[in-house]
Amino acid sequence: MSASFSVRPYLLLLPGLLPILAFMSLVIGMALSQSVGYFNFSGDSGFSLRFWHTVLSEQQFWRAFWYSARIALFSSLLSVALAYPVALWLRRPFAGSDLVSALIKAPILVHGLVAAFLYVNFISFQGFLNAALVHLGLVARPIRMQNDPYAIGVVILQVWKNMPFAFLILTGPVRAIGDDILDAARDLGAGAFARLRRVILPLTLRSLQAALILIFIGAAGDYSFQSVAGPTSLNSLAQYMVRIQQDNAGHGWNEAAVIAVMLMGLSLFGSAALAALIQFLLRRTGR
Amino acid sequence: MRRHRSAALLVQTRLPVVLALTVFTIVLALPFAMAVLWSLVDPSHPWAYPAVLPPVLSFRRWIEIWTTSALPQALANSYLLAATVSVSTLLLALPTAYAFGRLQFPGKATAQMLTLIPLAMPGFVGAIFFSALLVRFGVYSRFAGIALGHTVIFLPYAIRLLSLSFAMVRQDLIDAARDLGASPLTVFRTATLPVLKPGLLAALIIVFILSIEEFAISYIVGAPDFTTVPTILYSYLGYNFIRPNAAAISLILVVPNVLLMLIAERLLKSADPATITGKG
Repeated sequence: MSASFSVRPYLLLLPGLLPILAFMSLVIGMALSQSVGYFNFSGDSGFSLRFWHTVLSEQQFWRAFWYSARIALFSSLLSVALAYPVALWLRRPFAGSDLVSALIKAPILVHGLVAAFLYVNFISFQGFLNAALVHLGLVARPIRMQNDPYAIGVVILQVWKNMPFAFLILTGPVRAIGDDILDAARDLGAGAFARLRRVILPLTLRSLQAALILIFIGAAGDYSFQSVAGPTSLNSLAQYMVRIQQDNAGHGWNEAAVIAVMLMGLSLFGSAALAALIQFLLRRTGR
Repeated sequence: MRRHRSAALLVQTRLPVVLALTVFTIVLALPFAMAVLWSLVDPSHPWAYPAVLPPVLSFRRWIEIWTTSALPQALANSYLLAATVSVSTLLLALPTAYAFGRLQFPGKATAQMLTLIPLAMPGFVGAIFFSALLVRFGVYSRFAGIALGHTVIFLPYAIRLLSLSFAMVRQDLIDAARDLGASPLTVFRTATLPVLKPGLLAALIIVFILSIEEFAISYIVGAPDFTTVPTILYSYLGYNFIRPNAAAISLILVVPNVLLMLIAERLLKSADPATITGKG
């Protein structure tokens, strides 16, 4: 084989891989350098940590940070917790199981903003839920449920959109668990919960972690659900970043860059910590 | 006794299905039905509490949105962008997907992992600092900026889908065609293309849908005057919540994409080489 032949696969990688690597390193590089004062669009550029000081001493920033972390944690755990029973139920095909699994996956095809609109429309003052509650005599007058202060709406939307996604990731591995293993566990006296904890979860751990990580990252960076259905008194990190960038004429870019770096950190370390924690818990209780 | 058992079995298998259909109705069918109703509320007869159903239904709202809002322009922008993005993404993805699907080389697994990085980037972080880069490099065309951003962030999907298609092409068919004296072009036409075609079309459609639906880059780079369908929907959901308009645009955004997705899914299912070559 000639030397040029062995280079060929790498040359073929260039058109696809190079734009991705260039884009990602330029975008992340831009955020990192603007956060420490380089590449300013107005005024002098130069190394400075004052933007980090300003943002990290801002109470609003930390409220947004922990709020996004909380939403990401609840959304990923709830989506996965709901996806498991469904994936287990559909493990063996039965009459109508194809239809059910197609219906479960339907929300994946619905745009996030459309989902947010459908939800707000459903729970609004004039919405179906209120009309039903009034007609059933459960309440005297419609209740105001939009933009609830506990962000229940945002978590409902996240789970609505992400549960099918978790189902999609988990369904293959759950199906791959052999009946003989589950039968053996049953014969040894394991109840449904013990089988889940000691057989099913450990055997599908990698996919479980993948689902948690992907949903966590998506929910931590959420903008649309929060701005349409979220509490009006709070910002998600992405929303706060966009606001700071647009409002603060002078240092908007630099401070938004600090928030961006923190958001990337939350996505990366938050999701990794969650995945590690799940693994640790399973190892400990699985013994 | 046997009948009793089969009845119990029926309850056991049917009950969850009924339950699932009920949940589906509440979380998907009803909200969509509400959206359809809201889009048909006649502008001169508002639907207000305590009326359970809208007093008058008409298509006037649809006509009004079409003639007075920026929707026609947004639709043109979205679809033109999506067409540009799907073609450019596919062209860039093809060589890489070929390498992943048909060649073995050291570092392949790492390279495959690297192509997935954009999926882990929060959308608005990417959008904001991509827009900073566009300013820095002097790219002021909104269309070019958004098209460039979409092309890069959807490359992972196209590469993955096409790698699978390339991997499905059967080497024995290529060898057989070659042994029978076919030219490289004929080999490609008879052994590769038939297997590759459904995957190509599916990737084209999926990137097209992803581009139409993308919000972060379109919103940040396009602001304030370049609108796409999602950004126009967002404007009706924000401070001035205009419910009938949002309902109509939601339907315009969802219905064509669901239809396209069903076509893509059918194409991907038909991509099994056994069904094309008739060989197992």
